[in-house]
Amino acid sequence: MAKTLHPLEVKLLLKYDPSTDIDAQKVRDELGYREGQENQAFSWLQGKGLLDEVARISLTGYEITPLGRELAKNGTPEERIFRLLETEGPKTFPEMVQILQIEQKNIGSAFGLLSKEGVAGMNEKKQAFLKTGALLPAKTLVLGQLLERAAGHDSPLDEGALSRDEKAIIASVAKKRGAGDAPFRIVDRERVVYRLNGQSANVRNALVSLGMTGEELGALTQEMLEQGSWKNSSFRPYNIGVVPAKVIPGRKNPYVEFLESVKDKLASLGFEEFDGNMVETEFWNSDALFMPQFHAARDIHDVYYIEEPNKARFIEEPYLSRVATTHENGGDSGSRGWDYSFDREFTRRLILRSQGTVLSARQLPKAKVPGKYFGVVRCFRYDKVDATHLSDFYQTEGIVLGEDVNLRTLLGFLEMFAVEVAGAKEVKYVPGYFPFTEPSVEVHIKHPVLGWFELGGSGIFRPEVTRSLGIDVPVLAWGIGIDRMALMALGLNDLRELFSPDLQSVRLRRTTTRKS
Amino acid sequence: MPKIEVNEKLFFSLLGEKCTAERLEEIFPTAKAELDEWDTSSGDPETRSIKVELNDTNRPDLWSTAGLARQLRIHRTGIIPEYDFLVPIGQSPKTAYSVKVEESVRKVRPYLAGFIARGPAITDAILRDLIQTQEKLAWNFGRKRKSISIGLYRPSIIKWPVHYRGADPETTAFVPLQETRRMTLNQILAEHPKGKEYASILQNEKIHPLLVDDAGCILSYPPIINSADLGAVLVGDTELFIEVTGTDYPSVALTASILACDLSDMGFSIENVDVSYPYDTPFGRSLVFPCYFQKKVQVGLPAIVKLLGVPVSMDKATDALQHMGSKTSSQGETISLSPPPYRNDFLHPVDVIEDVLIGIGLGNFSPEKPKDFTIGRLSPIEQFSRKTKLSLVGLGYQEMIYNYLGSKKDYIDRMGIDPSLVVKIQNPMSENYEYLRNSPLPGLLGTESISGKAPYPHRSFETGKVAIKKPDENYGIVTRQYLGFLNCHAQADYNESASHMASLMYYLCRDYSVRESEDSRFIRGRQAGIWYQGECVGVFGELNPAVLEGFGITMPAAGGEIDLDLLMQE
Repeated sequence: MAKTLHPLEVKLLLKYDPSTDIDAQKVRDELGYREGQENQAFSWLQGKGLLDEVARISLTGYEITPLGRELAKNGTPEERIFRLLETEGPKTFPEMVQILQIEQKNIGSAFGLLSKEGVAGMNEKKQAFLKTGALLPAKTLVLGQLLERAAGHDSPLDEGALSRDEKAIIASVAKKRGAGDAPFRIVDRERVVYRLNGQSANVRNALVSLGMTGEELGALTQEMLEQGSWKNSSFRPYNIGVVPAKVIPGRKNPYVEFLESVKDKLASLGFEEFDGNMVETEFWNSDALFMPQFHAARDIHDVYYIEEPNKARFIEEPYLSRVATTHENGGDSGSRGWDYSFDREFTRRLILRSQGTVLSARQLPKAKVPGKYFGVVRCFRYDKVDATHLSDFYQTEGIVLGEDVNLRTLLGFLEMFAVEVAGAKEVKYVPGYFPFTEPSVEVHIKHPVLGWFELGGSGIFRPEVTRSLGIDVPVLAWGIGIDRMALMALGLNDLRELFSPDLQSVRLRRTTTRKS
Repeated sequence: MPKIEVNEKLFFSLLGEKCTAERLEEIFPTAKAELDEWDTSSGDPETRSIKVELNDTNRPDLWSTAGLARQLRIHRTGIIPEYDFLVPIGQSPKTAYSVKVEESVRKVRPYLAGFIARGPAITDAILRDLIQTQEKLAWNFGRKRKSISIGLYRPSIIKWPVHYRGADPETTAFVPLQETRRMTLNQILAEHPKGKEYASILQNEKIHPLLVDDAGCILSYPPIINSADLGAVLVGDTELFIEVTGTDYPSVALTASILACDLSDMGFSIENVDVSYPYDTPFGRSLVFPCYFQKKVQVGLPAIVKLLGVPVSMDKATDALQHMGSKTSSQGETISLSPPPYRNDFLHPVDVIEDVLIGIGLGNFSPEKPKDFTIGRLSPIEQFSRKTKLSLVGLGYQEMIYNYLGSKKDYIDRMGIDPSLVVKIQNPMSENYEYLRNSPLPGLLGTESISGKAPYPHRSFETGKVAIKKPDENYGIVTRQYLGFLNCHAQADYNESASHMASLMYYLCRDYSVRESEDSRFIRGRQAGIWYQGECVGVFGELNPAVLEGFGITMPAAGGEIDLDLLMQE
């Protein structure tokens, strides 16, 4: 324990033994502690069980007021009137007001007091005069001395330290409340008496054997380094068990960090990131993906429509015509098409993109072969917001173009995502269905923590999609769901929490570390 | 994706196999089905049901107990059932029952198909299944009855032939199901629950479709409701007349075939109904249903091998297709496939290739590591945003991320901006998600409005997308990557934000200047436009107290927003 003591404690322990009564005044006087330091030392030593409180004594004290300080500096009105009459002879009240700059009523009451004491009188010219051989009244003299004493101390005058006369005089001018017009305020105080206890002896011995004096250096200062003064002293050891103060660091958002880690992983697997507009057309969001315009998922209750403007001015050619023909009769894609009349007005309708695949469609006309692309993009769904549904959320999607990609390569990519992105131990594939891919495959993984779940959907883009957008090679398309992994990584179970606006909860949030 | 309930006993008897849940999980993928729920611990096995989710929206034949069982059974056995009641398009055998279509329905709902089923007394399980199939087909495949609706009747109480004709909705009246009073068609649309639900289909039509028997009794009012007299079917009935009306003839014909095949599988014998038109249809003027209208699809073996990535022999391919229910013939390297009568989803040869794949079993294909070399990289704006973030984190900011949809209150009223600046959704689900944000600031201010207890100072930022109206652009709206940042504490002021801005710009290597700006979201004279390469790319300053008051924030705040897409330009 000895090493962790503060110098204020050390000095106190070394100075006193258990038989000595100690109080604040004593410690201040004998150890030179500033007001407050002695109480810090008492409270720390009590907390360590080395010091006991033995008595509490109630005391009355007299604290000098601002008016009292003023009087101490300039003298009391009685004193000043006395000195004036003594040196300059009789004076009228107006003359005294003029010379002493004291209000007439105060001159009056002070003169009344001098008169009562029998040292002053009033002549026929209404002049105040001193009686021959008069001395300053004892009461005025003592009050002046008390004021001087009080002004020279930080702490109030203690009643116990005053003579009987002094007590009587100070009590006559002091007030408990509303002391603004009195020279002293009465304050009730308590004197607490302490003694070091038997336990302290061991600590004291330890301090002695360590050679600690309480004069060890505290904080290392620039001055000490400049002057080299640290060389001849030792440093006070700090208590490293103290709970550290909290700081508010700048930080990335843990969910964003998770999204970034997925992007980094996909980039490391050879995928180039794409990006695009949140507001899209029915054309790129669905028509270009060969979803018929009457498809159930294209209902008003499934996508958000933009109110104003509500249509794109145009759809890029030749894609509009090629897609329209493909829907109607298959065009040159080898398909028979959906056999309906393609609505070129409806296709310009502006919506909030409902699936990340829209970016894949957008990428196809400008894609390289071979090429690999991905996006982690915000999508919008007409869903009631709850713990498992959001109206806007991220989808992770991508495409792979290559002369020789096929179903087995698709499975190869899915396996890669399962292992590299999701940390899966086991992977299984089942047939799936998406309007824009054929064949379609769902990938299910056994996650080390979450167990079996569907990681994503994928497939080979239908030729109706790729041919219309000018691509003649097979294109693998995939999407993986990373939200469940994000929730797990962040220790959450409600999707809404990913976008939490609560500053403190975001500040305290952290991601579990995972090897990958 | 439709979800159906299948009666456990009926399903297993049609499947020809009694299964455990594990076994169902194993075989369901061949029908793109998922076991949704099956509680075997309680309930009567006679009436207990299994809940199944069907993923393929192009395979309506799977949305029934018999259809799902058929797919799984054929996949296991390779035995394709014969449906000899199907009449190829162009053939017109004599039938005992007929429907006469009249010119007056041509505009409103032109096509009809129908057939008679006769067999064992209908059980509760079968009736429930029929009603479920009727609903799923009309809702999911028939676009909520718009393109397809189905009616069930007792043929023996109908005076044949049946007439399908137009009717005046104001004067025509009958007693619909779930009612006891006569109602006009318009009354039904306005007052009957089904009428209200489907009224939009007949909106603006002067003549409405009606099915009437030869005695003038009304069978039904397609696609709304059957009559209470002739249009009710009960447990114990041994005969059914099923009709399908709609706007797309292949879908109407397919629906009739699906229902006929299902009933045939369940032991009913199917009898044909002749439908004649006074106008041309894609299938001619006189048709006999159920019909086989599907065309053969050709696919070359090399295309199969290329797409699947493994050598597949002709025998293996045709055997796989046999196990998916399709009859094939081959010539050279070309397979010619006749789709099963209950399917019409072979749009392209790739659809046949997927059937080969599922016929063989996906589990028999092994993953192959990709060989093509490509360079991966993050998008330029992602890289630039990350550099921005790093500076802000160093300056002590907490990164936030918000939803992009919000309310008028947060995005417009509280910010005190012109509503026309913010993209509005025409069909919002709730007023909390009615607008697409044009700035990251409402999100950051929203945080302040609920984070008064979090220790200060608060410094927060977000980089993310916003939607900005640009009338000159094709869409009239562009998406931009923005940085928003906010300082909120007792000493937050213009100077602090200006210092942070200077530091950020220095490390982004951007020479910028500030000019006086007039943005009502900030205090006049304590805000600056950020100018870069002759363009205003953002603004920062002390937040207008009116904005803070709107958000219920009682702490000074300063911050701003920058268009990172513009700032990124070299």
